[in-house]
Amino acid sequence: MSIWNYVVTAHKPTNVTHSCVGNFTGPQELNLIIAKCTRIEIHLLTPQGLQPMLDVPVYGRIATLELFRPHGETHDLLFIATERYKFCVLQWDPEAAEVVTRAMGDVSDRIGRPTDNGQIGIIDPDCRLIGLHLYDGLFKVIPFDNKGQLKEAFNIRLEELQVLDIKFLYGCAKPTIVVLYQDNKDARHIKTYEVALKDKDFVEGPWSQNNLDNGADLLIPVPPPLCGVLIIGEETIVYCSATAFKAIPIRPSITRAYGRVDADGSRYLLGDHNGLLHLLVINHEKEKVTGLKIELLGETSIASTISYLDNAFVYIGSSYGDSQLIKLNLQPDPKGSYVEVLERYVNLGPIVDFCVVDLERQGQGQVVTCSGAYKDGSLRIVRNGIGINEQASVELQGIKGMWSLRSATDDPYDTFLVVSFISETRILAMNLEDELEETEIEGFCSEAQTLFCHDAVFNQLVQVTSISVRLVSSTSRELRHEWFAPAGFSVNVATANATQVLLATGGGHLVFLEIGDGVLTEVKHAQLEYDISCLDINPIGENPNHSHIAAVGMWTDISVRIFSLPDLNLITKEHLGGEIIPRSVLLCSFEGVSYLLCALGDGHLLNFVLNMNTGELTDRKKVSLGTQPITLRTFSSKNATHVFAASDRPTVIYSSNKKLLYSNVNLREVSYMCPFNSAAFPDSLAIAREGELTIGTIDDIQKLHIRTIQLGEHARRICHQEQTRTFAICSLKYNQSSTEDAEMHFVRLIDDQTFEFISSYPLDQYEYACSILSCSFSDDSNVYYCVGTAYVMPEENEPTKGRILVFIVEDGKLQLIAEKETKGAVYSLNAFNGKLLAAINQKIQLYKWMLRDDGTHELQSECGHHGHILALYVQTRGDFIVVGDLMKSISLLIYKHEEGAIEERARDYNANWMSAVEILDDDIYLGAENNFNLFTVRKNSEGATDEERGRLEVAGEYHLGEFVNRFRHGSLVMRLPDSDVGQIPTVIFGTVNGVIGVIASLPLEQYTFLEKLQATLRKVIKGVGGLSHEQWRSFCNEKKTVESKNFLDGDLIESFLDLSRNRMEEISKAMTVPVEELMKRVEELTRLH
Amino acid sequence: MGSMLGDWPSFDPLNFSQLRPSDPSSPSRMTPVTYCPTHDRCQPPPNQVIASESRNILLRNMYKRTEDKLRSKRPASEILITDQGLKHPRTSTAESPF
Repeated sequence: MSIWNYVVTAHKPTNVTHSCVGNFTGPQELNLIIAKCTRIEIHLLTPQGLQPMLDVPVYGRIATLELFRPHGETHDLLFIATERYKFCVLQWDPEAAEVVTRAMGDVSDRIGRPTDNGQIGIIDPDCRLIGLHLYDGLFKVIPFDNKGQLKEAFNIRLEELQVLDIKFLYGCAKPTIVVLYQDNKDARHIKTYEVALKDKDFVEGPWSQNNLDNGADLLIPVPPPLCGVLIIGEETIVYCSATAFKAIPIRPSITRAYGRVDADGSRYLLGDHNGLLHLLVINHEKEKVTGLKIELLGETSIASTISYLDNAFVYIGSSYGDSQLIKLNLQPDPKGSYVEVLERYVNLGPIVDFCVVDLERQGQGQVVTCSGAYKDGSLRIVRNGIGINEQASVELQGIKGMWSLRSATDDPYDTFLVVSFISETRILAMNLEDELEETEIEGFCSEAQTLFCHDAVFNQLVQVTSISVRLVSSTSRELRHEWFAPAGFSVNVATANATQVLLATGGGHLVFLEIGDGVLTEVKHAQLEYDISCLDINPIGENPNHSHIAAVGMWTDISVRIFSLPDLNLITKEHLGGEIIPRSVLLCSFEGVSYLLCALGDGHLLNFVLNMNTGELTDRKKVSLGTQPITLRTFSSKNATHVFAASDRPTVIYSSNKKLLYSNVNLREVSYMCPFNSAAFPDSLAIAREGELTIGTIDDIQKLHIRTIQLGEHARRICHQEQTRTFAICSLKYNQSSTEDAEMHFVRLIDDQTFEFISSYPLDQYEYACSILSCSFSDDSNVYYCVGTAYVMPEENEPTKGRILVFIVEDGKLQLIAEKETKGAVYSLNAFNGKLLAAINQKIQLYKWMLRDDGTHELQSECGHHGHILALYVQTRGDFIVVGDLMKSISLLIYKHEEGAIEERARDYNANWMSAVEILDDDIYLGAENNFNLFTVRKNSEGATDEERGRLEVAGEYHLGEFVNRFRHGSLVMRLPDSDVGQIPTVIFGTVNGVIGVIASLPLEQYTFLEKLQATLRKVIKGVGGLSHEQWRSFCNEKKTVESKNFLDGDLIESFLDLSRNRMEEISKAMTVPVEELMKRVEELTRLH
Repeated sequence: MGSMLGDWPSFDPLNFSQLRPSDPSSPSRMTPVTYCPTHDRCQPPPNQVIASESRNILLRNMYKRTEDKLRSKRPASEILITDQGLKHPRTSTAESPF
């Protein structure tokens, strides 16, 4: 790999951190707004449910999200503050359908200790000020003037240093906050302050309350007429105001999220750490609170945010499991639950570990993640591209074309499958046993290659061969009419629809026939200047049975032309450029937009937007799909039309939000495809490939496919073992039912096809599994699973004892073969020169696999290396060992065979707290750290002095904005050695927010080009809220903030494809590179993920 | 329980009325369009780029105190006209190092 890296998101964050409901896009429109760490999603509530409107990338990690409405506004504004102390106020402009920035700013202080319990951002209910608690001991105020404009922000000293929550109180003459805090004796209290805007200070508030529940963690301000505040503890809930104090005990639980139901604040939904949803009711009489009541409603995902939507529907946003749309029913279901889950929205976060495997053995990487936490833990199988689920297959060599035909015009299903070979045509049909068998259509010519076939009106079928066009009855199967090519000419290419046939013979003759009841009529003949290479008359106009235009691809001048039908007048001629002839043209329509697709002999595809009235071709785009000629065919799946491009790299072309998207099909090579919708195999495709005819169904048409295996426990480590076709995971199960929150740790064996637990090994009490590895040892042909553990004792700061367990899979069972006690936690295990390399607390330790006299094996310590704070992440390459330390960045060790010793070779002297490391190549190592940055360091072998050689120099720095838990070499897409992208090495990463990303190492030339494109794009694509992309991507930790280097933001670069043509041209001009070239280069990059 | 659960608030009674829940075993696909703004109103109006007051809280309080002192002393200075020149607050505090 290289130091020039391209970082791109393959799967966007799905961890829902915040949500709110209000009238954002219009006074009469109710919106749900969801924050997924670095993105905001705007949804509209409709009779059909939640309708997604917009996915807004934000150049920051969202710390607070609030809707509010200043006086005089008809709809709500959105306040966002980011973790790097930027804030913005956004407004929706309904006319332009744009997000407009009303205000933005920087609220950082040069000095100040960032709060431990996260940032707090709140808005006064009367819109007099925005309050922020960002640093201990300070409360920042951004006042509004009377026109709703924001004014200069200022700080107020806040005496309470350990703040747990702050909220504004309703119904106060002066803006008043209530502060929940912990004192230095760990007791919790609340206090109120009035904000004196003029004096820029606090004034002691109307009331306070001391000695609350020790677990009090959350304040809920109660709106008028009741006012006051609810204090949510772990054992009690208290209502508190100047005049009233009411408390109720609750079952011990930690409330993670709340959602207000009624505008008057009398009911609230509370979600706890076990995913239980409660309804809290404030009983009141004559605006006086008389008591509290709480009821269990049922179970949801563990909520991080709850938003009451409308008409008893509630959105549950989750960080630990899938988010949900639920309905609160009036009557309980048989299990006593009032909660009905209606929709769930996939969340991969937190991805704690993952592995890249090729389960189908097709050369297609799949990512299997340990996702979710606690009871919502799961495995997710993430696969790029579209899979074909094989239903039947038969060996057939030399297929030259395939078409499906119905036995009657109005039959909903296909009956025949016409398969064409070089000198014959065979017909397959489904028999009564639902088997495919060979049959005959008497009227067809079976001794010649079929060039085209189609169903025609009046229960007829059309077959075109090189000498004639045959019209055959689909009921009697007898020939009704035949049109012959003129003597001396043979038909080269042909196409047809239900009422029309268009064919071309040598010498550039184009002949148009119309199909009648038992008759073929030659309507028009035209002579073109060159030979014709391909044709299409797929009806995409209003009439599904005939087309008023034809697309024709030409030899010699390499053009594609649009002719009118039936008179064959030339309407448009478009030169394709280059020397590669068009091999397949297709007229098609997606989401109401008509396109002309034109595939070339070298695997490139051009697409144009086609104006159906004028025949004009615009918005030319070129992409590279493969390297071999492409054949285009439409097919339907789930009531939508898609295009299948058969080639050495089969691709499905589909449209989403009026943009054409290309998704790989997970098959190696497809020569022909035709839809085959038979009664036995509905919605299937017939696929000719590698000497085989396959009938299969196709996956949902989308780029990434995610399959969920719910575990009901928290998987923390995973690895795959090819030889036994199993996964092993380390997981922990929380026992909620017992009085104590007991947790049990397991090593589980999982079948890699069924994903069922096939064997389990329980660990000891207090024993946690920290690492897992599948490996084999020198002089032993077996493969083993090795598990590293730690005994986590409540009284110890760091574990002082652990184990390495060696298992073998026998008869589908995990058999413990050997175990070795260690003096600490085994954070990492690696296979290393036929031995086992373990990271144990401060130490790197190498173990030999020794054969004992009795024939059993044991792990025997060989050598080690001290000198880390905690060696958490280890990667090896040859004799080199790269260690990611808890707080001392990356160091490079080397194993010396002769001396049997491990020595330090070099280290990075920065104090990075690592979260993952990976070796990119011999000299370059990649790291992720806990301030959401990525960096690369380089070994300096050519350094002049020992000191220089002993230093890993920082080569690249980048703010990813995501907490990376794991890097793995591999690719989500099928890598073809002969394609350009196939040459680019990639690393996949998984993050806490559920992001799966790809880091691709680019050649310098490409990097320089894209760097320029990125710089140009920064000027054209604006940051929402006025936030700067350059600042966002700057490497930033407690010590320094420096511009990103040697990393490119692939998400920004690929958004080039979302731009309007005008903007693309603007960029093309600035870059002095043609739009088409830019598009092709960026489109290629999208194929990395 | 029934009384607690009834009477859910409604903004538009039609919302969700035609919801057809998807198969709960297969997750819903919500893929909104990714926003890619190119307009100039991503930048806020010039007077709405908010910064924090540059003056430190401590300084602000000292200024305030001196101002308060000044204000409270003014009536006195009007009575005792003589020799008050020396008691003017030092306006150079801003320069003195704290």
